[in-house]
Amino acid sequence: MKRNVAIIGGGQTFHAARRHDVDQAEMVNEAVRAALNDARMTMDEIDLVILGNMEFFEGTHMTDCWLVHGTGAYGKQGLKITTGGTVGATAVVTAAHHVASGLFPRVLCIGFEKQEEGDTGAILSGVAHPLWGRSLAGAAVGYFAMMGSSYMAAWGATEEHSAMVAVKARQNARKNKYAHLKLDIGIEDVLNSRMLSWPIRMLDMCPASNGACAMILADEKTAKARCKKPVWIRAMDTAHNEQFELDWRDVKTTRPIFSRTCAKRIYRKLGVQKPSEYFDVFEVYEPATWSELVWYEDLGLCAPGEGFRLIEKGVTEIGGAIPVNPSGGVLSTNCIGASAMLRVWEAALQIRGDAGEHQVPKDVRRALTTAYGGTNWTVMTALSRTLDD
Amino acid sequence: MATKIQEPISIPMTVSVPYRFAAGSYLTKCLIGLRDHGTLFAVECPKCKRVQLPPRIVCATCHVRNERWVELGLEGTLVAFTIMYLPLTDPTTGKPHNPPFVYGTVRLDGATSVLDHFINVEPDLEKIRVGMRCRMILRPQAERIGDLSDILYFDPIPG
Repeated sequence: MKRNVAIIGGGQTFHAARRHDVDQAEMVNEAVRAALNDARMTMDEIDLVILGNMEFFEGTHMTDCWLVHGTGAYGKQGLKITTGGTVGATAVVTAAHHVASGLFPRVLCIGFEKQEEGDTGAILSGVAHPLWGRSLAGAAVGYFAMMGSSYMAAWGATEEHSAMVAVKARQNARKNKYAHLKLDIGIEDVLNSRMLSWPIRMLDMCPASNGACAMILADEKTAKARCKKPVWIRAMDTAHNEQFELDWRDVKTTRPIFSRTCAKRIYRKLGVQKPSEYFDVFEVYEPATWSELVWYEDLGLCAPGEGFRLIEKGVTEIGGAIPVNPSGGVLSTNCIGASAMLRVWEAALQIRGDAGEHQVPKDVRRALTTAYGGTNWTVMTALSRTLDD
Repeated sequence: MATKIQEPISIPMTVSVPYRFAAGSYLTKCLIGLRDHGTLFAVECPKCKRVQLPPRIVCATCHVRNERWVELGLEGTLVAFTIMYLPLTDPTTGKPHNPPFVYGTVRLDGATSVLDHFINVEPDLEKIRVGMRCRMILRPQAERIGDLSDILYFDPIPG
């Protein structure tokens, strides 16, 4: 990047299914205050505020306007981001671009969702073409179920493998005090949980969470002057698929799809030869168990068709050679507009060594995070501890 | 005086919104064919040769105008499927689908694109598999209205 950009602070709410104690602005403000405290800054020092959530998921529009007391954006420059599951990551990318432009040295970005207040499934049906697919739309679960059926048919994985992902996520979440689903479960619990859409069971799916995450990004001068442990944003990339076209519903597709295209580009930017060695930790966007296995392959952590072998061998556990989602991931916490930002913030905490109980034991110098929006595009962000990494 | 703990106020509300969607010239041609003649037409990109469904005016990959129309057969191959156990509502009608039911992604012969629809099999894993051949079954012509509900489901082709 032309100008270096660092994460100099961040924070999140405790994530839960019920937050009747706060309204949306109050909830967002919890994360904003946590981020300002972490960066030891006041709102006066922020040049621009970027807010992200999904339009109408809470039955509201233009949250940038009416949550202004919670976000701190009153009288400031700012904008609103709405890009599906990628919202939080797009907010980070947008903040980073504004800092890198040289025009805004200190930018606050926020992602939130208060899922209990709306009908996410109903609003999501608007993602589908009204005449070509909407009648079967309305739940992400069916999509991920088809990914699972395709994956099993293609590579010979079983439902036990997806259950291993479910167990890893919730056991990791037990170490993360902010996570929503902290469940002491085993493979049998997953296989005995209610079938939603074969092969997806209740415990194969993310919860509907309420929560927010906020981060402060700054230029190199501010970061070095103000922050003891800045985390540097080294590369970002995004790629779209085409609506209607096959993606992960045919895991054997050889056509270039968004996730693999994006990974290839970000690796090229950074000169990454072997991603499993270059990065010390990964935070991927996995609303369903099967998607984590597919991410392993699309990110090149293993060959196509071998993702389920990684989980089988425990390679992606917190203490494994390639830790993936030590935070518990989206499977444990899904406050949609915040979920993709949580990937970046959790990766930053790992690099700072501040993740607490879910800190991976090895030295973390570099991290890669992913997100997807709808199911047809991705945002990836690569972080490092120093500008030499 | 004893202080009573107050429950926070939380008000249920419903928003219902009418929409009208213009299908455009390409999709209109395809849907009229389906409605009036029981045919299914896709478009082929002159550059990458992808046969695209639903038909659209521009190839997203090549940014060129799609001009060649290709009639597809009504048979194809199942790429992925699920048995849905949740009582999902059809967002286009407001009526519930009746679980458990099977739906899947079918690639019609000759098409690059795929189509998601109901698969007319029992919700039994012994009777469904990825790679299964199936045939599109349409409503009787008098009942068709010019959208994907004119397709009832895909029937598995034995063998």
